[in-house]
Amino acid sequence: MAARKKTRTRKARVVSKADKEFISEAEEILERMRLDLADLSDQRAAGEEVDPELVNRLFRSAHSLKGLANLFGFDPVQNLAHHLEDVLDGLRLGRVLLSVAVVDVVDRTASLFAKLLSAVGDTAAIEAMSEAVQALIAEIELAKQPVETQAEEFATLDIEASLLRALTEYEEHRLRENLRRGRNILLVDATFEIISFEEGLSELTTAIREIGEVLSTLPAPGESSKAQICFSLLVASDLTSTEVDARFEFPDTTVRSVAAARNPAPAAAGKSVSTSVSEPIATVDPPDGAAPATSNDAPQIQPPDPREFESLKSISDTVRVDIRKLDELMNLVGELVIQRSALGDLVSRLHGDPATARIGSDFGKVHKALDGKLRELQSAVLEVRMVPLRQVFEKVSRVVRRLRVELEKDVRLELCGADTELDKLIVEELIDPLMHIVRNALDHGIESPNERSEKGKDPQGCIKIDAFQRGNHVVIAVSDDGRGIDRERLRAKAEAKGVIEPGDVLTDQENLDLIFAPGVSTRDEVTEISGRGVGMDVVRHNLAPLGGVVEVDSEPGQGTTISMTLPITLAIIRSVLVAVADQRFAIPLNTVQETLSIDPEQIQRSEDREILNHRGDALLLLRLSDAFGLAGLSRDEKSFVVVLGMGDSRIGLIVDRLEGQQDTVIKPIQGPIPTIRGIAGATELGDQYPVLVLDVSALLDDALHRKEAA
Amino acid sequence: MSEAPTPNETGGWETLAREAACRLESGGDLSELQQFLTFRLDGAFYAVPVERVREIVRIRPITPVPRLPAEVLGVISLRGEIVEVVDLRRRLGLEPTEPARRSRIIVVHGGDGSIAGLLVDGVTEVLSVDESDLRAASGDAVESLCVRGDEFVSLLDLNRVLEIDGNQ
Repeated sequence: MAARKKTRTRKARVVSKADKEFISEAEEILERMRLDLADLSDQRAAGEEVDPELVNRLFRSAHSLKGLANLFGFDPVQNLAHHLEDVLDGLRLGRVLLSVAVVDVVDRTASLFAKLLSAVGDTAAIEAMSEAVQALIAEIELAKQPVETQAEEFATLDIEASLLRALTEYEEHRLRENLRRGRNILLVDATFEIISFEEGLSELTTAIREIGEVLSTLPAPGESSKAQICFSLLVASDLTSTEVDARFEFPDTTVRSVAAARNPAPAAAGKSVSTSVSEPIATVDPPDGAAPATSNDAPQIQPPDPREFESLKSISDTVRVDIRKLDELMNLVGELVIQRSALGDLVSRLHGDPATARIGSDFGKVHKALDGKLRELQSAVLEVRMVPLRQVFEKVSRVVRRLRVELEKDVRLELCGADTELDKLIVEELIDPLMHIVRNALDHGIESPNERSEKGKDPQGCIKIDAFQRGNHVVIAVSDDGRGIDRERLRAKAEAKGVIEPGDVLTDQENLDLIFAPGVSTRDEVTEISGRGVGMDVVRHNLAPLGGVVEVDSEPGQGTTISMTLPITLAIIRSVLVAVADQRFAIPLNTVQETLSIDPEQIQRSEDREILNHRGDALLLLRLSDAFGLAGLSRDEKSFVVVLGMGDSRIGLIVDRLEGQQDTVIKPIQGPIPTIRGIAGATELGDQYPVLVLDVSALLDDALHRKEAA
Repeated sequence: MSEAPTPNETGGWETLAREAACRLESGGDLSELQQFLTFRLDGAFYAVPVERVREIVRIRPITPVPRLPAEVLGVISLRGEIVEVVDLRRRLGLEPTEPARRSRIIVVHGGDGSIAGLLVDGVTEVLSVDESDLRAASGDAVESLCVRGDEFVSLLDLNRVLEIDGNQ
């Protein structure tokens, strides 16, 4: 159903297109930096060895940020990024000590970046922040504690001096670091066919990464034939060369030890030179003779630096696209789909007339082929818009990390289904409701460690987010193992708010569903975390325009599960067309379970409601003419029932006629009253009349909760 | 007001704007002048600021929308966008009529980035108004009055025009 694009009220600042591009790209980089930073401080705090790739990535991010700021001419960002890059470069090369102060200052720099970004275009605000920028730069410089590099000679290493000379400063630092940690240093020599060396090298590198770190990859002009190329890989690993050699199944690859681990495991305390090595040293020649064994007609391929290769690839195989451009593309496809329907009408008219039946059938074939291609195009465009939930999950885990400290609760977060894909637009709209539910679980659901221990539960609580696809929908369920929802309290609150009357008899589910009633919250005191005067009613309200439903299930003392069901895409959906009193309406097919033709005498009554015996179940009926105040058919005529279902709810919608199915592009309604209860948006079907699309979730809700339509 | 050139064809709106621009260039202090699109409604003249006007379209099929107050006639499709059309006669408390040949829908920018259609009897001209010619008005949706010859043009406060209570 239609997503209403939120028009965020912007402050009076001028943001040009170029600025926007800068902001969006910079935000992405910053996002990555923050994730890496969080990991870095986790690793540091846990006393683990910090992953060098993490520091590298941070350095590259700062570098990209600097370049970007330079490109767009944002001096404060550029200046700050420069100093950040500098300190990260120092960390990476082992010149600067990885201290608490450094991590902290880097973290604060990232925060300041975010602030600067949000002020782009507002010169005064940027100006106001320049002092903070200067102060932080001074702090960065202060936090840089140089590491005293003991002039540790690599003399003890069983390795050619020429090879050592070829190492970059970073590689030297990594070698030193690994020696310090007492790892085995190995030299892996590998020979590849020139035509396929990239593949082979990448396979070998991947295999080595499983057992250790590749410190350096150097081309080694060996005595191999002219169609071959040799590389020497300097590797640090906890395994000995013998163990590594035993694991590897690469042909033309030898492994030898350069430095044995200082504290080797007793079993691994072998000789430094591996026994299985056939030609220990001979394969490595000094890299002075740069070209492989010479021959004039030999392909003079300069062995490329594989690391350079890697970085080039990652830049070129993705394209950043403004989501609005995809929207435009989607609209175009949508209009094509509409034109196709009109073409279909033409075909059947040609068919109908004997004079044109022949050409009609030829035309029909072309139409059919076009139809197939159009469907392919449609799904290809839809696919482009799909993004995995991973990013959302990462945001959630960051918030949980922060909140569990603030709330002094011990909680672990389990995430399942991060690869589940959804339309980008839905993902955007999903973040706030999901965050709200998770905050609620953390704040209200999970008890304090003491309380949990007293109840005999694991003192560490658990929040689980499970995402999976079910048909055309994606279900995202947030479960906690907390105290569950207090029915009595909920009921009392709902009575106080006038949602229900004191005497009302509710089923357990109805009682739980009160959580979605406006202004009803499970706790009396409003906390900063999940208070803010909004509750689950806002979550339900936010999901409705997307065609999503939210359901609650809770077991006292055991926990609560809130599940959101969302359509995979909003863009083009198949709809059932119905008519009431000459007006057509579209109903998204994914909400239609079946359609029935009924005689008036089949309709039974219970109080003021009409019900239908539908295979033994009582199906509550709703006349669309009543819901929308239209003059429908009289009650003693034959009519049609569209059985609508979402989540666990079901009703039968009575309409005058069924008018088939159509592909529809649902558009939001613009104007003074954009939100109309029961209507999700409108669509065009080839003629000029817009057709309204029903908001099935709202109709179900109204019918089942006896709210009278205005 | 003499019968000004009526924008009959699609190009009419641009013509009007160009004419106004010419008038502007030929004299007058630019900073003091504001431009308004004037239109007829039940025999009287009204106007909205030109910068709020996105386009003027001929009358086209309007799909009625349930649960909306009577001032909103329904929705039209504008090259794929679905836009509500406000019957300006009803909105201003005038006698409603059926749309006629000269009726137009003025598509205006709302305050929140969305757009809305206003059904009017006919579009007349673009008026350049010196701020000193404006007189205060006390109407519900009329912001001020502007003297044009011996007639008044009511300048509408669009934000108030578009403030329609949905729960009627």
